[in-house]
Amino acid sequence: MRLDALTIRNFRNIISLDCEIPPEGVVIIGENGQGKTSLLEAIFYLALFRSLRGSRDRELVSFGSDGFFVAGEVGQRIQAGYEISGQRKKVSIDGDPITRLGDAVGRFTAVPLAPADRELITDGPGARRRFLDVLLSLGDKQYLRRLSELKAVLKQRNAALRMGRKDEAAAFDGPFATAAEYIVRVRRQWADDWQTRYAEINTALGEAGTSSMEYSPRREEPETQETIRSELAITIERDLAGTTTGFGPHRHDLRILREGRDLRRYGSGGQQRTAAIALRLLEAEALTERTGDRPVTMYDDIFTELDAKRQGYLLDMMKDWDNTQVIVTAPRESEVPREMFDRPRWSINGGKIEA
Amino acid sequence: MSAIDDLNAELAKLPGIGRKTATRLTYHLLKQPKPTVERLASTLRTLAEKVHPCQKCGNMSESVLCPFCVDPRRDDTSFCVVEESSDIDAIEKAGEFRGRYHVLGGRLSPLDGIGPEDLAIDALKHRVEQVDATVEVIVATNPSMEGEATATYLSGVLKTTGALVTRIALGLPVGGDLQYADAVTIGQAMAARRKMPE
Ligand SMILES: [Zn+2]
Repeated sequence: MRLDALTIRNFRNIISLDCEIPPEGVVIIGENGQGKTSLLEAIFYLALFRSLRGSRDRELVSFGSDGFFVAGEVGQRIQAGYEISGQRKKVSIDGDPITRLGDAVGRFTAVPLAPADRELITDGPGARRRFLDVLLSLGDKQYLRRLSELKAVLKQRNAALRMGRKDEAAAFDGPFATAAEYIVRVRRQWADDWQTRYAEINTALGEAGTSSMEYSPRREEPETQETIRSELAITIERDLAGTTTGFGPHRHDLRILREGRDLRRYGSGGQQRTAAIALRLLEAEALTERTGDRPVTMYDDIFTELDAKRQGYLLDMMKDWDNTQVIVTAPRESEVPREMFDRPRWSINGGKIEA
Repeated sequence: MSAIDDLNAELAKLPGIGRKTATRLTYHLLKQPKPTVERLASTLRTLAEKVHPCQKCGNMSESVLCPFCVDPRRDDTSFCVVEESSDIDAIEKAGEFRGRYHVLGGRLSPLDGIGPEDLAIDALKHRVEQVDATVEVIVATNPSMEGEATATYLSGVLKTTGALVTRIALGLPVGGDLQYADAVTIGQAMAARRKMPE
C-alpha cells in the first residue's frame, strides 16, 4: 500500500497542505502542536473514515472552520469531507460518491504507532475491543456491518430495558444473537490465529519470558446464536435492574498477558509499551495477510519513548519489511534514529511542510 | 411568517425533503399556472378528507372497509401482517397472497418510543381469535432489525391464539447474480435453504 499524494484542508492543526510522499516514506521533524499528529491522523482517516482515537468528526475540524477535507492518491483517489452544519460526511473513490461507507473502508490501510498506544494495554477492555474492531473492519466488510448492527440493536434493547419492558427488550435478542455470534467468532478466530506470532514479535522486541494474548471470556465450546439467546434470556432480569445489556461482545476483552499474568495490572511501563508496539506490528501483519498489501506504517514520535535496546530491536524488525512505506515523526533531529538518516526528511511548522 | 415561509416549513416536514429542497419546490410551485397549484391543493384536501384507515385492517381506504376486507373470495384463515399500507401494494402486485391483510402502522422501536401499544397488535390478536378455524399469520414486516424484533414480539403475543405464525423468507433477489449479493443476504439465504423436491 502506498500513499503517493495527500491533500488536507482544515483538519485539526492543518489548515491547508498538499504534498507528494516518496514511495519509501519520509521522516517528519516538528515540535509538538505543529501538525505532525494531525497529518498522521488525516492519513488514517482515509482508511477508516473515522478518527484514530475515537474522536467525533466535528472535533477533527480546525478551530473556526465549518468542515474538513482529506484526499489521498493510493492507486485510486480517496476523498473524504465533513461539514459541521449538515453533520454530513461525504466519501468518494475516483470521483464516485460512496453511499455505504462500508464499501470504502479498507481500500487503503494504515497502521499508526504512537506513545498513546500504551493505553491499549493500560486502559479498560474497551480500548482493546476497539483495536480488534478497527483491525477486523479494515479486512472484512461483513464484520463492519455486523458491528454497526450490534450497536444499533443494543441501543434498541437498552431503550426497552430502561422503560422496564421485558418482552420488547427480548424481541431484540434474535437480531442481537445474529450479529454477536459473527463478531465473537471472528474475534476469537483472530486471537487464536495470531497468538503464536504475537509471542514471537515480543521476543523479537527483546521481551524475555512468555507473552501471550487470549480472548476473554474463555469458552470450551464456541458460542452459537442459540447459546447467546439463552444467555440473554437467563440474564434479562439483571439487565432490567441495571437497565443495560450486560452480556455480549460489547463486554468482552482481549487480555494481554506476560507469564500468564495480566499485563495491564502487573506490567512495568516498558513492558506495556513493548506489548502495545507488538500489537500494532501484529495489526500490520494481519492486515497484510488479509489484503495482500502491506499497510502504510506510521510512527508518531515513538522512538523518544523507547530505550536504546528496544529501539534497536524495532529498527531491526523494520529491515525485513520490503515495499513498506514508513512515515516517521520526531520532535527534533536528535530523536531520529541513525538507521533513518538516509530517508527523505521534511520539517513541519505551523501546519506547513518544508521539504 | 409569510405564505412562502409557511409552505417551506410544511414541505420540509416531509420525509426525504430538507430545507433546500423545500424551498426549491415552493418556488417551483410559484412559477406554475394557478390552476395547476389549485389542483394540487384540492387533491391534498380530498386525500385528507376521504382517505382513512380501514376499520378492520388499517389499510388506507376511501370507504369504511378496504377492498381486501370486503372481498368475499379472499381466505379468512390467512393473515398477512405488514408495517405500512404501502407494503400491501407491493405484495398484491406479486399476486401470491389471497388472504386478509393487517397493517401494524409501524414497527417496534423503543428508541423512538414506539411500543406495542402504538401498533395495531391487540386488534390483530382480536381478529385472529374471532376466526373459527386454524389460522396462519404470515409476518411480512421488513427484514430490518426492528422488523425482525416486531415479528418475534408478534409471535409471542399470538402464542395463546393457537395460530400458526410464519415469517416471510429472507434471501436472494430473483434475477440477481450470486456473486454480487452481499454476505449477510447470502448467509440468510443459506440459513433459509429448503429441500429440493424429489
Ligand atoms: Zn381492510
